[in-house]
Amino acid sequence: MSLAILSKPAFRDFVARLLADYRVAGPVAHNGSFIFDEIRDPSELHMDYPTTLLPPKKFLLPIREVLFRFKRQDGGVLQAPPETPPTVLLGVHTCDLHAIQLLDTVFSSGHYDIHYVNRRKKTLIVSIECLGPCDEHSFCKSMGTLTADEGYDLHLTDLGDQYAVDVGTQAGKELLEKYASAKPADKEDVQRLNAVISAKWPRFSYRLDFDVSELPSVLELGMKSPLWEELGQRCLACAACTNVCPTCFCFDVKDEVELNLVDGQRVRQWDSCQLDEFATVAGGHNFRASRALRQRHRFMRKGKYILDAHKHLGCVGCGRCARACIVDITPVGVFNELYRQQQAGS
Amino acid sequence: MSANGKPKIAFFDFTSCEGCQLTVIDSLQDHPELLNAVEIVQFREAMSEKGEDYQIAFIEGSCTRQSDEARLKAIREQADIVVALGACAHLAGVNALKSLHPLEEVRKYVYGDKWDWYETYDARPIEAVIPVDFAIPGCPIDRNEFIAVVKALLLGKKPPIPDYPVCVECRLKENICMYTKGKVCLGPVTRAGCGAICPTYGSSCEACRGFISNPNQDSIKDVLAEAGLSVEEIINIYTMFTTYQVREKLLQKG
Repeated sequence: MSLAILSKPAFRDFVARLLADYRVAGPVAHNGSFIFDEIRDPSELHMDYPTTLLPPKKFLLPIREVLFRFKRQDGGVLQAPPETPPTVLLGVHTCDLHAIQLLDTVFSSGHYDIHYVNRRKKTLIVSIECLGPCDEHSFCKSMGTLTADEGYDLHLTDLGDQYAVDVGTQAGKELLEKYASAKPADKEDVQRLNAVISAKWPRFSYRLDFDVSELPSVLELGMKSPLWEELGQRCLACAACTNVCPTCFCFDVKDEVELNLVDGQRVRQWDSCQLDEFATVAGGHNFRASRALRQRHRFMRKGKYILDAHKHLGCVGCGRCARACIVDITPVGVFNELYRQQQAGS
Repeated sequence: MSANGKPKIAFFDFTSCEGCQLTVIDSLQDHPELLNAVEIVQFREAMSEKGEDYQIAFIEGSCTRQSDEARLKAIREQADIVVALGACAHLAGVNALKSLHPLEEVRKYVYGDKWDWYETYDARPIEAVIPVDFAIPGCPIDRNEFIAVVKALLLGKKPPIPDYPVCVECRLKENICMYTKGKVCLGPVTRAGCGAICPTYGSSCEACRGFISNPNQDSIKDVLAEAGLSVEEIINIYTMFTTYQVREKLLQKG
């Protein structure tokens, strides 16, 4: 929409003012790493963080949330859970921004998920451009997520002593006007921004051995690859890969009651297709009983099924699953190996 | 059922440190309403009264003496539901480590020249002696899980004991993986439900809750070997709490 300039001290003031009216979350230091967490003071923020353990998804689809409260008597009186406060999510990287766009599509189409959508409507996203790769595991450039044209309310680019602020939505514009002392970007600022953006691209490398547009067909042709069996032998089915994934959205729902056995609540919490029980149905049959089938399912979802269903790739190249896997099962490794096998076989 | 309609429950202990019963007492601090939901008729750790008309028996400790068997069978005879409370009752736990050595040697090490005054045999989980309906794993048990199990039993439901690995809870807590820290950990094969309490406070998981139903044993052994552990070290870490299960499995295989 438009471009503004916010000095670093002005950014701190912006965040401090937001804290008066919003729940503000962003990247903070945690045990030698970084996590998205609610902040109380702008000084907690680490806007130059490499990546986080869990993605910012947890502020839109909480790890565990109460859907409603009930009573096991008097016709089961239902009571809605407390509403999420208006929230500003700061410092979201563009890989995670692409993932949130996918989640928005998933939860607002088909079965309209009122819990997600209500929370999303109350969340403003201030994303930030990555100027260098976070580590050797990310492959955003190959996945086309190294930058984003939409999905944010405000988007920051670090220009050293100031941020260039791209205004993405009307809500973002109003947020900036109300809470920040920004100045409109002049010609020089735009030139500086362009220079920073041009300089960043060569710092990232392409890590897939083929163009991402070929990924769905690479996976489809790889359905019967012996690779899946090999992955199944190594996979510990610990679900680290799906639990750290910004695009995974599967959940389980269960009822919990108090000790009076009358008051209770229905909760949902993240689930994982990698766990033994995930595809076990009534009667005890498990239609993905082997780890090999579950790994294949996971990668098919990431590179093909989700794209077919929702027009967004199910993988954004953030590299979190590769970092988390104890036995070194990585999307880049899997996708490239399938491609190699197909090249060798053709 | 007592006159007030509350189910009667009782606690028993065999060879154990009684830490699981202490955890039950501890859970009352957060959930005093437990006492409105059940009537405790026997609990040596916490009260003097001894009622014998219980419906649910929680048993802590492993069976380590022939003479314990009759008492266990009497409890089974009385109770509608028997729950193994904690690793000693559930798995035989650390008590089973003595079975790695000749029994006479162990008895002499512990009791010196009075070794034959004290009766003992290889430690076993209580399900090796009597049928057990449910187990609450852990060394000690998790207090919240204890309450969740009581609630499920009162509702006539199967207790919600997870059958997925500790890693699930650990990752969702945003802990740094022990393997990332250069340590080894049995989280990937160990049953969750503890909230990954050990890794959360900086210690590796030692599988006190036993293994999940379908652990990838070959892969975890490779992971431990790649981390530089010798075969002996792998066996030691792997059998801290599961000596009884690992031995039984080996005996089945011949």
